[in-house]
Amino acid sequence: MSNASRALTEPLPSSPVRPAAWTTLLPFVILFGLAALLPLTGNDYWGLIATRAAIYWMLVSGLSLIVGFAGQLAIGYVALLTLGAYTTSVLAAGNVLPPLPTFMALGVASAAGAVFGVIVGLPALRLRTFYFAMTTLGFATIVTQVALAWQGVTGGGIGITGPEMPAPFNTAWGFFYLCLGIAALCTWGTSNIARSRVGRSLVAIRDAEVAAEASGISKARLLVVVFMFAGALAAMAGGLFASLQTYITPDAFTFELSLLFFIAVLIGGRGSILGPLIGTLVLTILPEIAAPLAAWSTFLYAFLLLVIVLAMPGGIAALLDFESRKPLAFGRAVKPNPHVLGELLCGERGTSSLVLRDVILSFGGVRAIDGVDLEVRPGQVHGLIGPNGSGKTTTLNVVSGYYAPENGDVTLGASLEPAAPATRAGRGIARTFQTPRIVGEASVLDNVMIGGAIDGRATFMESLLSLRRHRDDEARMEADALLALRAVGLEALAHVRADRLQHSELRFIEIARTLVLRPAFLLLDEPAAGLSSVEIDQLGRLIVEIGRQGTGVLLVEHHADLIFSICDYVTVLNLGRVLAAGTPAEIRVHKEVVSAYLGG
Amino acid sequence: MLASILASGVAVGAIYALIGIAYNTMFSTSRVMSFTAGQLGMLGGVLGSLFVLRLGLPPIVGFVAMLACCALIGVITEFVAVRPVLKSLDQHLYVLSTLALALMIQQVTAIKWSTEPQPFPRLFELGSGTLDEKFWVPVAACLLTIIGLELLYRKTLVGRAFLAIAEDNFAARALGLPERNLRIASYALAGAIGGLAGFAGGQLLLAFFANGPLLNFYGFVPVALGGLGNNRGAVIGGLALGIFQQAANFLVGGIFSSVAVFCIFIIVLLLAPQGLFGSHVARRV
Amino acid sequence: MSISRREFTIGSAGLVGTSTLGLTRPALAQSEPIKVGWLAALTGPSSAPGVGFNRGVIYAAEAINAAGGVKGRKIEIITRDTQGDPTKAVNATQEMISQAKVHAIWGPTNSGESLAVTPIMARAKMPNIHPCVVDSLIDEKKFPNAFRLAPSNTQWDDAVRNYCLKILKLKKIAVIGDTTGYGVSAVNASVAGFKKDGAEVVYQANIDATQPDMTPDMLRAKTSGAEVVVVWSVSTGMEARMMNVRAAMGWDVAFVGHPSLSSGEIGNLVEKPANWEKVYAVGYRSCSYGADGKLAARNAELVERLKGKVNLSDTLLWWVTCGIDAVEMVAKAVEATGSSSSEAIIGHWNGLAKYNGYFGDYSFNPNQHNGYPTADVVMSAASSAKDGAFLLAPGYSG
Repeated sequence: MSNASRALTEPLPSSPVRPAAWTTLLPFVILFGLAALLPLTGNDYWGLIATRAAIYWMLVSGLSLIVGFAGQLAIGYVALLTLGAYTTSVLAAGNVLPPLPTFMALGVASAAGAVFGVIVGLPALRLRTFYFAMTTLGFATIVTQVALAWQGVTGGGIGITGPEMPAPFNTAWGFFYLCLGIAALCTWGTSNIARSRVGRSLVAIRDAEVAAEASGISKARLLVVVFMFAGALAAMAGGLFASLQTYITPDAFTFELSLLFFIAVLIGGRGSILGPLIGTLVLTILPEIAAPLAAWSTFLYAFLLLVIVLAMPGGIAALLDFESRKPLAFGRAVKPNPHVLGELLCGERGTSSLVLRDVILSFGGVRAIDGVDLEVRPGQVHGLIGPNGSGKTTTLNVVSGYYAPENGDVTLGASLEPAAPATRAGRGIARTFQTPRIVGEASVLDNVMIGGAIDGRATFMESLLSLRRHRDDEARMEADALLALRAVGLEALAHVRADRLQHSELRFIEIARTLVLRPAFLLLDEPAAGLSSVEIDQLGRLIVEIGRQGTGVLLVEHHADLIFSICDYVTVLNLGRVLAAGTPAEIRVHKEVVSAYLGG
Repeated sequence: MLASILASGVAVGAIYALIGIAYNTMFSTSRVMSFTAGQLGMLGGVLGSLFVLRLGLPPIVGFVAMLACCALIGVITEFVAVRPVLKSLDQHLYVLSTLALALMIQQVTAIKWSTEPQPFPRLFELGSGTLDEKFWVPVAACLLTIIGLELLYRKTLVGRAFLAIAEDNFAARALGLPERNLRIASYALAGAIGGLAGFAGGQLLLAFFANGPLLNFYGFVPVALGGLGNNRGAVIGGLALGIFQQAANFLVGGIFSSVAVFCIFIIVLLLAPQGLFGSHVARRV
Repeated sequence: MSISRREFTIGSAGLVGTSTLGLTRPALAQSEPIKVGWLAALTGPSSAPGVGFNRGVIYAAEAINAAGGVKGRKIEIITRDTQGDPTKAVNATQEMISQAKVHAIWGPTNSGESLAVTPIMARAKMPNIHPCVVDSLIDEKKFPNAFRLAPSNTQWDDAVRNYCLKILKLKKIAVIGDTTGYGVSAVNASVAGFKKDGAEVVYQANIDATQPDMTPDMLRAKTSGAEVVVVWSVSTGMEARMMNVRAAMGWDVAFVGHPSLSSGEIGNLVEKPANWEKVYAVGYRSCSYGADGKLAARNAELVERLKGKVNLSDTLLWWVTCGIDAVEMVAKAVEATGSSSSEAIIGHWNGLAKYNGYFGDYSFNPNQHNGYPTADVVMSAASSAKDGAFLLAPGYSG
């Protein structure tokens, strides 16, 4: 963070500031500090509960990346706990191989968890949410069935002794400190991930998948890594769980336990680390306090879940987010600073044009675009106009790879891979959307930083451990994003949750998000819709300056005034064909355009 | 031997198919897959047993009362777990809200009814062996439901309105169809179909609180295989699943049959995410 | 472990709640209550035994306290509902040990939980008695604190095998269980036992308890030539289905096996009462009606005493008596040794020989913590329940 502020040339006039590091850290320090003092009570019972909470948290911290961040509803995650518990126990007991030392068994179990985590997660790449939830439930059943049936190895219904810890972890408190230490590491690691481009990309996949793709984020690759990580954590938690239980049987791995993990994330709040941590603590401790309600515990879990979904989808994290309850200034106006663009977009641009040649695409027999030819030159502001249904947005979608054209091709130097939207950012093509695709729960700054996702060089492991390259990445991306926000005039709102902003501001966030990519070509889909005339003027000046920096702009817009005042070149579509193309002056007097579109 | 595997396979298959149709019926008007589908089947059995055996009502009265209660549960589902989250359909909150409601239904049943399976009454005292009523009643119920739904969809105005909404929600609303009322009606209908499944299969599955999750999963498999919203696909998928499951039970034993069913399910889904008879890819941008 | 103490114990056994304990004066001014932890599965599936045990526990504790307690010390029962979940049982056990600081623990009542908590109790040297059947739960070296108050799986197995082979004199056996952990392991153990005794196991299966139709499995069992079907399951639904199929097939074969075959739930689930005939479940001589239709005098007297206080109609007598015995065993140990320390209680139990409980005559010594006499494990006619007790299965003498 300090790097980031140093990278900026001048201090920012920001009103709601990013919470200082220590306020974010404080709750964690308090929680773990209190836990570390627990042995002073000498009460083994509280030690046991705390150890259990720490173990559950290892699993939940990983699961929260899947459920909370990526929005993949993995209900049956107890499957991985079971796998880890059995793998560790079996290896430590030496049922198949010579007995391994406990820590080595834990390591092997984590590796197995990573592999199995991907297997459990794979359907998420292809299936819809509900389907995925069902398949994870199925996995939970299958793992238990296998544990039952494979009696020679797992002990079947009789079960198997949990692994014994070596000294000094073989006492209750020794084991507690081990688990607490690992839990603290998990907290630190997942927080690093949460505040890295991985975390932001996951949230983007959850709430704005299309925008994530346009920013070059590969859902498959990202999810596979996260599933591996969460699977490894869950399996490790399983091994420690087996050690804590001292003895495991298949009936210890109940659906209720799975539900506990899942609901801990949701009670805690999606996209938060502290929230699910508190959620885990609450759900582990609650049944102990409310012992007489044991029979109703599942009912209470379910009820809590319903209440959270209906009444406070943000969970505990939203309750603790005091910052977001402070009112924002009223009557804000966006005041872009186009002069900053030079600083941001400096650097080389290619000399190739973005060219569409004879592109045809139809939906259900209707030709949405029917042989469109188009060329956008570097630095050119190219207007694309036409009546509703003339194929403007479809053209953008072909360029940005959401649709594969039936005929013709799109080239930028070399040809662009059809139907592969995630490749476009790498080719220097960025875009905005008719309805802004924004992650409402993330800050404005985070939203903008999503645009720079492909610039990151740090690997997942480097981010996890907050190594040098990760910190450099973050500093650079944050500096870029702040610069882009200054360019569009939103830097004062950088640390505000995006869903608190006005519609017009969201449009500018989207533009800022594209700018951090330093795009060679920028596709804008009706950026002026919903803006006031003052804001449209500001937008126009911003677009002109973007063009001046060498970025080619393809602008789809209904506001004819804007088009004619800022475009270097205009293409008019009608019924999926190019009706006319030329300079604004030529188009303005083009007979057919005037009669068909401009209406006299 | 083969006859008895077929008889029980077709019978449970018909129950699964009915649960699948309940899923589809709810989905058609709301685009929501509800975890309560299986619980409706469970309630059909429990309420049937409650009304007919415990309260001693005549079977037909008990049946109608059961249908009414399940329809009511359907409507409650719509009010509590579906309507509030429809606004943000793309966030998939319905998965959570319907799961929560389903669990609450199941827990209340466990505590207020029993955690042990309870008997379900004989209905007609007809048939024996592989033609016993417990085998043919679910099949008959499934057939009647299919015919009833076809008539409803083809011959009645309400049915056509259902189809219109299932086809294109926005267009239907634009046409002035009472979308909200139709949705409530479809949830009531789904409740009744789910209840019918449980009632018809009561003699096979008994009145048991834990049938819910089971039916939920096995009722979902035909939907996934047959394609979402496709009732014919659900019936074919259901029957195939029932026979496959019973045959697997017989051939590889109880433990591995559930593993086998699950593996087939996953493989088919990964190969054909839209199901074997489904089509329809949503536009995203 | 002196002889005199043992004699005293035997002498006073059974008089709890009537006079003896009331007459003993508080020897020491120690008035702290005797805390007995009670790990019960009182709700959730498989809670029926827990509810039965609980009635006995409450009755015994109230009776002892009404009579003045043990040397002036009241019995305090600290109950935790574990719902049969091993995780909850582990938490509750640690709570009893570290927080409630109980003097002894009774339970848990099913093996999955017991397997998880036994090492924890051993670490704390907590005197523990439980009625769980899994053999490995009793290990005098590893768990010198744990005592079994009921038969082990092997003893159940022995009784079933003994009945099939020696009394029914059948040689071709079908063994069927459910797909739960218990069902799978019980079937394997049972099959091994039969084979060892030279019987022919012609059919072996684990059936999913939710499977709606048992016909294929039963047909296979029949065609394999089985002369008796041994059933290891706690699922009453599955057992009733099997009985119905047996009747539908017109197969005249006996079902012998798990105590749940005699559960009252089955009576509701069978299509005809006759379907429940020729089913023999594990039972206990102490809780069985003899040829004269009467219980042994001691338990007949107990049932008389329980009338109006403890409902026996929807539970089993052995659960209730076992619950009573558990509480009394703790009370007697404290009374005999004058101490509620772990060492005293465990030491006292280790010296019990033919302790005359309601459920059975237990004998323990430092090398044998399976205290229930095998001879008292018998088969009973499953459908003959009256006041929670059963008729002996045909073939037993007296």
